Amino acid sequence: MFTLDAVKVHFSTNPDFVLSRIHIGDEVISVTGLKSLINFPQSVHLLREPLLALEPFTVQKLVEMGQELPASSDRIIDEILNGMLIAVHDATDVCISIIPVPQSLSRSISNPLTENNVRGSSSAFNEDIDTNLGLLRKHVNSSELQINHYSCGSMTKNTVTLCFLNQSIDPNLLHSITQLLESGANSDLSTLKDLSKLFKFPLLTLVSSYLVSELPQTASRALKDGKVVIFIERLPFAIILPSLISDMFMTEDDLNHPMIYSVLLRSLRVIGALMTLMAPGLYVAIVSVNPDVLRFELAHTIAISRLDVPYPAIIEALLLLLILELIMEAIIRLPSSIGPTVTMVGGIVLGEAVVQAKLVSSLLIIVLAAVTIANATVVGFQNSYLIRLLKYLLLFLSALFGVTGLLAGIVIICAYLSSLTTLGVPYLQLKQPKGE
Amino acid sequence: MKPILVAAALSLLLLTGCWDNKDINHRALPIAMGIGYKNGDYTVYLDIPKVSASEKGIEVYSEHGKSINEAIDLISMNLESQVDLLHLKVIVVDKPFALHGLEEGIASIIRSRYIAPKTVFVICDQPLDRFFKRIDDSSNDGKSIYDFFQKDAGWSPQIAFTQVWKIFRSVHSYTNDVVLPIIKAGDTTILESTGSAIMKNGVMVGRLTNEQTLLYNVFNGDNLMGKIEVMNHATVQIVSNRLRCRGRFQQGKPILKSTLYLKVIIVDTTGNPSTEKIKTELKILVTDRFNEIFKIVRRDKADIFGLGQHFRDDFSRKELSQWREKYLPQLQIELDVKTVVRNTGNLKSP
Repeated sequence: MFTLDAVKVHFSTNPDFVLSRIHIGDEVISVTGLKSLINFPQSVHLLREPLLALEPFTVQKLVEMGQELPASSDRIIDEILNGMLIAVHDATDVCISIIPVPQSLSRSISNPLTENNVRGSSSAFNEDIDTNLGLLRKHVNSSELQINHYSCGSMTKNTVTLCFLNQSIDPNLLHSITQLLESGANSDLSTLKDLSKLFKFPLLTLVSSYLVSELPQTASRALKDGKVVIFIERLPFAIILPSLISDMFMTEDDLNHPMIYSVLLRSLRVIGALMTLMAPGLYVAIVSVNPDVLRFELAHTIAISRLDVPYPAIIEALLLLLILELIMEAIIRLPSSIGPTVTMVGGIVLGEAVVQAKLVSSLLIIVLAAVTIANATVVGFQNSYLIRLLKYLLLFLSALFGVTGLLAGIVIICAYLSSLTTLGVPYLQLKQPKGE
Repeated sequence: MKPILVAAALSLLLLTGCWDNKDINHRALPIAMGIGYKNGDYTVYLDIPKVSASEKGIEVYSEHGKSINEAIDLISMNLESQVDLLHLKVIVVDKPFALHGLEEGIASIIRSRYIAPKTVFVICDQPLDRFFKRIDDSSNDGKSIYDFFQKDAGWSPQIAFTQVWKIFRSVHSYTNDVVLPIIKAGDTTILESTGSAIMKNGVMVGRLTNEQTLLYNVFNGDNLMGKIEVMNHATVQIVSNRLRCRGRFQQGKPILKSTLYLKVIIVDTTGNPSTEKIKTELKILVTDRFNEIFKIVRRDKADIFGLGQHFRDDFSRKELSQWREKYLPQLQIELDVKTVVRNTGNLKSP
């Protein structure tokens, strides 16, 4: 009883702490837990029924219903916080933790919110880590699938799960990941930033070292390709390590299409990425530095469309790009009931008024509209950030050096991407090689 | 290390000298340039399409100068936008300049790097001021002179097509000369072709008619898709042509054996000629015309067909320099024409 008293003192100010006693014959069992995490009446019922049916009461029977705990108050507090039901046999001080009927605190499995797919399965990961693991197990029905649990954090405890396929994983990669996760037992791990910090990913990188996906099929493909999948409690997605350039252009969904179409779709994404990168730069280069690369007719038409435009091409492009970025950012923040208004206002501003006011040329509108659309063809949200940012590098270099600058910018981007590695795996590798 | 990198990045931005880039709407983009020559004095005409949303048409500016570049510079100085010759498509020179020799003009064009070497070179049969006035008055979008020489627009196989670099090559090569188209303002059409000029080392030495220019183009392998040829008993359409040449020496004299392969379609016949007869007639017609041109070539000592190319490996460098003067007049050409009648139109031929 001493242990439970300490626990009671610890939770004394918490209104959701419950401590009740069950009488089974002459024996008294104290049952305790947090009612915000546990459906208490049902759990107690589940505990009492078999004990009543199995008279006479023995301590052995109680212990068989759960997992015996050492009689230390710290350990009991941890278990209570993890949402377990704690039962203590008053006479012998035997303490067990039982899996209770939980309060349902997670939404049910629903459609993915940030990733759409056409043909693949459309159930998405959600906040509950066990649901996520269940989804993953359904997709990878294999005895090779290994799932390791880590409990991280000193102040707040958070569960982190590492999943990999024994057969496909590169042992070196696995070794370095497990070592890093074990070393991080005392650091808080509840956001992706914490994870990056734990894995010592560079702070000032443009390319994220991990891929984040809501789709179980993407996670299962990653496992088969020899990557690891990490789940963090309450984060509704799988974190796939390491991220490679192929993640930008390939989805698991492609494989559900006929071969030719999947190849064409992937090339379309490459074209989209190149277009987003190059189109604004090319516009500025052609309009202000190298008009000679255009056909004469086109040059003449562009010259006419740019009449009375007061700013040089680079300012003009930056002005409109700024508005576009603002709209894209605003649409994410706004509730869906106001979103369409912004779209409409943006459409009016970008479509007609800005040309009529002679602030920008109509060709630039076309270029930037194409860029914005092409930007979305890339797979993965964080990958679209990358090309969204890199296009500005090409824009400035083009404004200074024209088409030569554009080319130099592409060389710089290639050099940068090829310099990246994640846990020893080069970013420009198309597929992670399977371990021996 | 860090400050050095920052300084390097800053100087990359500040020291480029690229802040004076001019936007496309602040550049005047001439489409054609006229160069007149009189007693060492150049007159330059620039044909610039109007950059304006409301009115179409062209503006023609002209200026005199001691050199071509000086005259262009004067126009640029007096114009509200900067003259940018990168889009120049056609250079028109007057006959006095062509007779005097284009060598210096071409050298300054190639040297300046502002004019593309692919610009088409044309000789004008009338004074340039009259010519440009006529174009100014009659053309509505200003591009007619450009379209006239565009292979995918108004160019036809009777018109020679020679770019600046070819003339430059002609000036400096022992075995290559060129022909330049000769045009003037037309009566009903805006432009009118009046044959072509034989240029020897950049100097005009003779002329070819439009018909002869056509065969010149055939010989040079230009595709004449759809060219119609009229003979005594039939009219045929040449749909494909190919030429093979082989040069050899016999008793110190160069002999060139050429075979011209033609594929034709019969379009018209009079009096039911047989296919064989049509072939023979075509052969005689083509051979006669070629021989006429070869006669001109030997007379003017201008190797417009680049015939010397087939003998280059037979000569030493010193002998090669005498090709035009010594060997070209001796050259014997054996031309054979082989014709395939691909089909006889929709009717059967006897």
